[in-house]
Amino acid sequence: MHLLNSSLVYVMHSSMARGKETRDEEKEKFSHEATTHLDHLYRVALYLAKESNEAKDLVQETYSRALGSYKQFTPGTNMKAWLTTILYNFFFHLRNQKKKWISLENNFKEDEGPSDYCEQVPTENPGPETHILLKELKGKITDVLDKIPEEFRLPIILVVMGDFSYEEAAEILSCPVGTIRSRLFRGRKLVYKELREYMGIKE
Amino acid sequence: MKCEEAEELISALADNELSDRERSSVEGHLRDCPRCQRAYEWHQSLNSEIRTVSASVVAPIDLRQRIVSDQRTMPKEAESNSRGKLIIGLQPFLRPAFASAFLVILLISIFFLMRRPSQPISLTALQIREKIDEGEIPLQKATNTDELHDSLRRAVDGKFGPLGYDFSPLGVKPVGGTVEEVNGRQMLVAVFRGNGLSITCFTFLGTEEDAPKNATVFFDPETRIRFYSFSRNGLNAVLHREGNVICILVSNMPPEELLSLVKTSSPHKNRHARTG
Repeated sequence: MHLLNSSLVYVMHSSMARGKETRDEEKEKFSHEATTHLDHLYRVALYLAKESNEAKDLVQETYSRALGSYKQFTPGTNMKAWLTTILYNFFFHLRNQKKKWISLENNFKEDEGPSDYCEQVPTENPGPETHILLKELKGKITDVLDKIPEEFRLPIILVVMGDFSYEEAAEILSCPVGTIRSRLFRGRKLVYKELREYMGIKE
Repeated sequence: MKCEEAEELISALADNELSDRERSSVEGHLRDCPRCQRAYEWHQSLNSEIRTVSASVVAPIDLRQRIVSDQRTMPKEAESNSRGKLIIGLQPFLRPAFASAFLVILLISIFFLMRRPSQPISLTALQIREKIDEGEIPLQKATNTDELHDSLRRAVDGKFGPLGYDFSPLGVKPVGGTVEEVNGRQMLVAVFRGNGLSITCFTFLGTEEDAPKNATVFFDPETRIRFYSFSRNGLNAVLHREGNVICILVSNMPPEELLSLVKTSSPHKNRHARTG
């Protein structure tokens, strides 16, 4: 009787172990595929956070969250976009917390809301000096990108750096495709404006 | 097509994001307009420059190691595989013994799980505060913050001490303190009152896991400290960690003001913390 019970427990345990093995294998496969996007995620995080340590925290938390909900990912779909969405949502969450602190420090004054960045967008097209500007400012592009408002920087990061289509970028940022197109255009104009200022070229 | 109409389309052309109709329309305009042709070249050059610069950015090695060694992130491959092989590879006569051992471990685990306290230590702190307010827990009186902190620190043989909060700008002064034992852990309690406010400062050794699961987390990017805000029965609390020391401030102040107080008068700014 004792042996019978023990065998039963053994069978149960074996099948549990096999179930766990399958889950671990699935997880492991997912993890390995996810780590192939590490450079991309770090790049996006770095341009979002503008600071290496915060970027590392963002990426580590992204992987942790992704693995925690890996079953929600449909194999064969775009894992890079899925991971980037998690990263962006976490960044957005942290930034909102940061805003809360700022509003606390301002004695709970109401958030003044985003300024009208459209007013900052230059109206003229890039002039003949553009190639000289780029040549001179090789390596400075990161500083210039950091200066432009986030709502214009994000589409550039996703589409130009991340190689996402407008549609994918719109999905990650939860906005219409038309907004991505328009912000990329305005964002590039702002980069142009910043480059000119960097070089000390007056209007 | 006018230049103003073409502008945005030119930017999208550089990203190869135009429909065939839009593309042919813009390309027609570009052939006739050197100014817009220049703008198109600018968008292309900028894209190329950004791609070159960003391609040189790779994840640092320490980040890769952090992710690989993070048990939340990567399953423990070697361990899970070897465990599987061990079970399958056991000699048949050893299997019942293994199963019995497993059963014993399972029962012990269930026993300990059942014994686990039903609430986190942070919520017990709120209960202690209520008991102090009702006079059920006596306090060792103190009129001076340093004296109070020193006596509390001595009570735990100097292993740790209360964080150096100073509430005097609010007109809140030290009243007394005590040491409570919660689930085998010693908790220093310092009570401050004044100006209609009452602040109780709890200090103990622990981790952020000691915060209630439903606490609202606030991240201070300046100090990189997470603050956990929670409330019960009209009392508000904020928990944060300084090294291996957990500090909970409990007060009748509104949660936002308490959070602000913790941040502005927190010892991590003044470095008065004594976490020896």
